[in-house]
Amino acid sequence: MAIELPTTGLKTDEMIINMGPQHPATHGVLRLILTLDGEFVKHTEPVCGHLHRAQEWQGQNRTLFQYQALIDRVDYLSGMFTSWAMARAAELIDGCEISERAEFLRVMVAEMNRISSHLLWLGTYLIDLGAMFGFPFYPFREREKLLDLFEEIAGQRMMFNYIRIGGVMRAPKDDWLKRLEAFTEEFPKRVDEYEAIVTENPIFLKRTKGIGILKKEVAMDYGVTGPTIRASGVPIDLRRTKPYSVYPKLKFDVVGMDKDGDTWDRYICRIREMRQSNEIIKQCLDMLPKEGELLAKKQNAGLRIKAGEGFAAVESPRGTLGCYIISNGSDRAYRFKWRNPSFCNLSVLPELLKNHPIADVMAIFGSIDVILPDVDR
Amino acid sequence: MIRNGAEILKATMLTGTWWAIIFGLVWIACWVVGIVLPGLLSGMEGDTPRFWAEICRALTPILAVMVFIPVNAMFMVLIERRALALFTVRKGPNRVGPDGYLQTFADALKLLFKEDITPRGADAVMFTLAPIIFFAPSIFGAMPLLAAVTNNHELFQVMNLPTGIFFVLAASSVPVVGIVMGGWASNNKYSLVGGLRSAAQAISYEIPLVLSIVTICLLAGTLDVVQIAKQQAGGILNWNLLGGGALRGLDQAVASGADALKTFYYAPAAAIVGTGSDVLPWILSSIATVALVVCTVTAFCLYLTGACAEINRIPFDLPEAESELVSGYNTEYSGIKFAIFFLAEFTNLFIVASIATVMFLGGGDCPVPAWLGERVESMLGIKFSSIVNMALAPLISVKLIDPATMFAAVWVILKTYTIVFFAILVRGTLPRFRIDQLMDFGWKRLIPLSLIVFLVVVFAREFVVCHVGT
Amino acid sequence: MSETPAAKPAETPQEPGQFGQFLKEHGISSQRLADSSGVETIELEASQLEAAVKLLRSSPEVKLDYLVSVCGVDSQDTFDSVYHLWSYSNANELVIKVRVKKASVPEGSLPSVPSLSRFWNAANWHERETYDFVGIRYYGHPYLRRILNPWDWEGYPLRRDYKQLVDALNDKAPGSFR
Repeated sequence: MAIELPTTGLKTDEMIINMGPQHPATHGVLRLILTLDGEFVKHTEPVCGHLHRAQEWQGQNRTLFQYQALIDRVDYLSGMFTSWAMARAAELIDGCEISERAEFLRVMVAEMNRISSHLLWLGTYLIDLGAMFGFPFYPFREREKLLDLFEEIAGQRMMFNYIRIGGVMRAPKDDWLKRLEAFTEEFPKRVDEYEAIVTENPIFLKRTKGIGILKKEVAMDYGVTGPTIRASGVPIDLRRTKPYSVYPKLKFDVVGMDKDGDTWDRYICRIREMRQSNEIIKQCLDMLPKEGELLAKKQNAGLRIKAGEGFAAVESPRGTLGCYIISNGSDRAYRFKWRNPSFCNLSVLPELLKNHPIADVMAIFGSIDVILPDVDR
Repeated sequence: MIRNGAEILKATMLTGTWWAIIFGLVWIACWVVGIVLPGLLSGMEGDTPRFWAEICRALTPILAVMVFIPVNAMFMVLIERRALALFTVRKGPNRVGPDGYLQTFADALKLLFKEDITPRGADAVMFTLAPIIFFAPSIFGAMPLLAAVTNNHELFQVMNLPTGIFFVLAASSVPVVGIVMGGWASNNKYSLVGGLRSAAQAISYEIPLVLSIVTICLLAGTLDVVQIAKQQAGGILNWNLLGGGALRGLDQAVASGADALKTFYYAPAAAIVGTGSDVLPWILSSIATVALVVCTVTAFCLYLTGACAEINRIPFDLPEAESELVSGYNTEYSGIKFAIFFLAEFTNLFIVASIATVMFLGGGDCPVPAWLGERVESMLGIKFSSIVNMALAPLISVKLIDPATMFAAVWVILKTYTIVFFAILVRGTLPRFRIDQLMDFGWKRLIPLSLIVFLVVVFAREFVVCHVGT
Repeated sequence: MSETPAAKPAETPQEPGQFGQFLKEHGISSQRLADSSGVETIELEASQLEAAVKLLRSSPEVKLDYLVSVCGVDSQDTFDSVYHLWSYSNANELVIKVRVKKASVPEGSLPSVPSLSRFWNAANWHERETYDFVGIRYYGHPYLRRILNPWDWEGYPLRRDYKQLVDALNDKAPGSFR
């Protein structure tokens, strides 16, 4: 909760404290310049860019074929979505048709990726709250199973390069589908387990309830997306509001809260999204067509798309992940622009931290689920 | 269903092996310096050898502590890591030595050889003194406990004080000075905040901690830890954890007939309200007994909470909150100084656990009442003590083993490490408080509760025979 | 990178689209460009950007109140500032381009475009990023400062004429933050 400062006649000096870039809890290398009055944050300036790898520059100086292997690194916890956003933008411009089978496979791996990303968030968030050793490893147990599945279908555990312009790379084997099904059967029980340990924990509630309240208007003003804004009562989920791929055929509702969201709401929102993604995977497993072309475009060094421009966005675990491509018909794009959810979500942080004690800085920062490579590109 | 039985078994074996090493080592060192050497010396002619024999005897407790603390801390770090790994579906350190047995030894070695950095702008003298001041109390604070945990063995009697528990508590509140010093001297904002938080936290949580101990002292009527441990002898019902002797009559009544019940429960209450009514004293004393049991159990919980805060363990590890303060007061420390901080932290954990053992869990007392053991012995027609004496006769004859001390020590070890394990389990489960919530919890919940417990005990103990006066 | 210009698709719709018409009714002239993958794209004068955005953002029938991204493009002879506008309440989408002719930018200064950060705080960081990479100065911006590159970086990396010094990253100039 934002704590009212006692107004005494005592004059206090403000202290400027540097949090990061070498700080154990900044999820990478973010530097926060905090101006403190006592223990309370008066002003925050995030300094990002420590992980800047010139992704956009590389996008226009490498061929599309080369670059689509690189973009998994933009948001390394949800590589499927970055690939997908780029593939969608390129396909929009190119106008190529994707088979239903490939689309279902995309939805499937993307939802798996969403679960694994949220699981990692859950673990690290509890570390941010100081549950150093106990619970944080349990989500990793489930995530490990997902990573094994990814490894089998994409050849890599995190940098998948599985969703390509024109489709997906490989078809899953029957055994893989069976294992995924087994996972979806087991997973809700695991989520119940997490909820049993965390959701009702009094210390956890004390640390999260009423902390870091993000008002609906503020969230919309800052262009916050994803579970962070859905927890604040704005039901925008691109899978429903701007439907793409085969999402219109699947049955699910937008997860959301109906009031200004605090840290706990964001937590519960992500937990529900994990359950929801699990249901979506189940539906995909049922509906996955047996036959269908996997790749509409040849994957070789000469991969090129038609001239034109297009903006496509997907709903990544962190929010609206957009990709804007201007193509001139050659094998490399004329301009690549990423609209990263973490970048926009991070910009609201100074607003959230105001008048919170320094102990809550990480509790709030963790709750908006920022991945620094996604901010810095 | 036990899914990782193999891992649990491995951790148990590790514990057993390390216990054998630690306590074997400590006891053999004590035996050599405290018994063999003086024995040889006093066999010689003249005053000088006798003088040296006395010096040897006097040095034994110090030697015991000095040998015990580093080795024990190494073991505790290792078992903490292994146990946390068990709780979190991992394997834990299992590479150095056989199944990771030597991991912390390697870590300690590494820390000793690391460069010892004093940051620019730090107050070098304070910076160096801080870990020493942090660590020293754990050595001298543990001394009075030695006699209590070894069934008042003659070697350690010298360290016993009539105000033992008072001294221990006083010593255990010194380390916070070291933390504040370290935090201030590091010339680092995070360290400073860590140090200040630690001071605030120690001040607020010392009160419930001490009040819960005072409650027990009130029931025991003494501050002498050996006395307190001795009073609790005779099974789990006699322990301070369960009413501070209020339940003692029960098992004695079972053992020797209903008359004992009357002495314990009827007589004290009757002395107060008069013998006019036959029922009233019984009712009063049973209410008092229940109140006492509830109060002492509460006091035990209060003690554990306060102790967790006192030694900066999760969920009260605010002074070194990793996600906020990097590493708090020891952010700037490296090499041997950091090792000392680390050592002291684990030693403090062990010390608070042994205080709990002595004060609440009956010290070296076997939980099974003695009369029950005798009954089993008479049924079987054998005597366990004589069997043990026969089996260990050669060792006893050279005074390597004193059966009474050995059994007491085994129980103390089991009880103490159970509490240590509990602390590890808590660390593996709970998130961290926020500093203001921590203060609220301390001042608004724990302190009033401990005062209530204290008051209730003051009145309730009049209606039953507690340890006082026995 | 070869200096091939972004090839203009041949057919540009002449009729103003839904939003172009809407702006025209309110006295703001816009030029329709080739649709970007089916989304209406209009070009606005820099001087009219703020008035147009104010209208588009608050009028109930359009309600383009969600600024998705701001993007700077170094086109062949213009610097473009591209705005993607969505709506929270309906499915409207619009792409606005503000083009500043390279010829009209004096030597040694930056093309300038009005800042939208007084409409959306979201624009703040997007515009800082565009300033950082393409060198478009947004006037009226509260804190126009490099965001991803170091504070003392020279040049604008995503411009076509940007040349990266080979060892610039290893060059430790005195006073440098790098």
